Amino acid sequence: MSTATDQLRSRAGTRADRDTHFEVEQFYYEEADLLDSGRYADWLELLADDLDYWMPTRTNRLRRQQALSIAARGEAAFYDETKDSLAWRIRRFDSGMAWAEDPPSRTRHLVTNVMARHVDPAEQDGFTADDLWVRSSFLVHQNRLEREVNIFAGSRTDILRRTADGRLQVARRAILLDQNVLLAKNISTFF
Amino acid sequence: MTSTIEPQGAATATPRGTLRRPADLARNIDVSGLVDTEGGLLDRVVFTDQELYRQELRRVYAPSWLFLAHTDQFHKPGDFFTTYMGEDPVIVTLDRDRRIRAYLNSCRHRGARVCRADSGTTRNFTCTYHGWSYNLDGSVASVPNKDGYPESFESGQWGLVEVPHVESYRGLIFGTWNPEPIPLRESLGDMAWYMDAMLDHDDQGTVVVGGVHKWVLEGNWKLAAEQFATDWYHVNMSHASALMILSPAGKKPKDEVVHRTGRQYSDAHGNGAGFPVHPKNRFDAQTVHAWMDYDALRERLGDARVEGPLTNGHATVFPNFSYLPVNGSIRVWHPKGPDRMEVWAWTLVDKSMPEEVREAQRLYNLRTFGPSGVFEQDDGENWSEAQSPSHGFITNGVALNYQMGLGTEREDGRHPGRTSELYSDAAGRAFYGRWRELMNTPAWHEENHS
Repeated sequence: MSTATDQLRSRAGTRADRDTHFEVEQFYYEEADLLDSGRYADWLELLADDLDYWMPTRTNRLRRQQALSIAARGEAAFYDETKDSLAWRIRRFDSGMAWAEDPPSRTRHLVTNVMARHVDPAEQDGFTADDLWVRSSFLVHQNRLEREVNIFAGSRTDILRRTADGRLQVARRAILLDQNVLLAKNISTFF
Repeated sequence: MTSTIEPQGAATATPRGTLRRPADLARNIDVSGLVDTEGGLLDRVVFTDQELYRQELRRVYAPSWLFLAHTDQFHKPGDFFTTYMGEDPVIVTLDRDRRIRAYLNSCRHRGARVCRADSGTTRNFTCTYHGWSYNLDGSVASVPNKDGYPESFESGQWGLVEVPHVESYRGLIFGTWNPEPIPLRESLGDMAWYMDAMLDHDDQGTVVVGGVHKWVLEGNWKLAAEQFATDWYHVNMSHASALMILSPAGKKPKDEVVHRTGRQYSDAHGNGAGFPVHPKNRFDAQTVHAWMDYDALRERLGDARVEGPLTNGHATVFPNFSYLPVNGSIRVWHPKGPDRMEVWAWTLVDKSMPEEVREAQRLYNLRTFGPSGVFEQDDGENWSEAQSPSHGFITNGVALNYQMGLGTEREDGRHPGRTSELYSDAAGRAFYGRWRELMNTPAWHEENHS
């Protein structure tokens, strides 16, 4: 056993160190900046080719049936995307005829409450302890046309993959919006 | 599935004591001059006026068949789903006799909702205010401190108010408060032929994907209901960006997409269905398309349906149930005041579809007509944009044009009932014609009802 492997194994599931935490936060801030600037093609570059991007609907359930309050995989979702399907959605904006975003919204993606841990490969098939499990909270403020305002609050649970050249990429993202009835006429931004 | 329970009806049916609501609490406005079906004009006040809106709830919603849920949402006794009929909250549930029933979701004591979950399974519905509890058949299960009530109090008189008629058509459950409705199937008339193109692909029928997309739109409910009945016209402009990315080259839609021919059905009940007609009409999602046995469908439904309403197009069952066959989207436009509606949308799939085909249809629907969908986003924009200017005094008085295809409705020899061109306002005129008729007709709950 090499020392490096031992080190990796011991990091599995542990909290990321301060430098890594800083790196993750900066990664999210840059991501937010790209989204708020409408640089969707550049945003796509932050996503892994095998991306799983999922935003389920949430229902009101009796307390004893809370386990069912988040729609299961295969049920109703606001997003259930691959990198290809996100690219397909983004191509729409290039048409010059995507009226729901023309004139474009003003959005501000705030990301906070970041908790980063090294992935435990025993829990996440196909990932290593170099990769990171990160949960964060978001508040997205969207202002559009004269006085339309939407506020989206929720959490993101990500797996960030450490690429061979040392960068971070979003490989898994599960988004929980803290709403039942979506309090907006549509979702024209990403989280 | 008609209820045998007597409607407990107007909440004035109290066993002891009497309430009498003064008739002038509800002022009814003659709307004859707001809709001109012959000239193809509509007064924008129908989208903005609060009194007209209250009248709609009384005279359009209360007497009409309203979509409640899909039968696939109820498998065992106690399975329930909460929704709205107009603005009335209702619980739809399967009782112990496996009958689908619907009740007003409002306690008979102080009126609070007795169920605040969207769906689930339960043995009874208990009001969390004072604890009145109701069985699955709507009857009172228990009243705490019952000794405090006089001897004349009979809990049997205080069950949940039941929707008197609940019927289903090929999996779609509708209910009405009308004590003497035209039966659902009869009221659908020729519209059922068009609906069957989506609901009757084979003997197994349809099921729904778990969960309901719900979202708000800042527009009057009629804007959406009318569009799904009549408006293929908007597709090329409103959805230009979506058509572009759906096209094979990803540049611009195929010419035959833009310059389509088709038909638009409309009837006196206010129902409408528009669809392109083409021998090679197909489902958009590749996996769904590959799975469909078009020959068998031709055998079952006939060429006219397979080449018409089977795939593309959209439709409205008056007043507020709409659907899109191509992606299995079924939806109801719940009215929330004159300026707002709530969309509740399900994904419908054939029960016979293998898992991967259902999944393909689900994903296609959420990416096109979910609230983040590449089509739906732009529809939401249209309806809020049509609504907000209507509040200007001058603007409100400027008539809207519904003249496309005026006078073109005819029997075309291929589709039942009367149809117009694909690009036409025929079903819009019929929709508002039906709206005008109901708005001017006293309903059963009114004293001057004949």
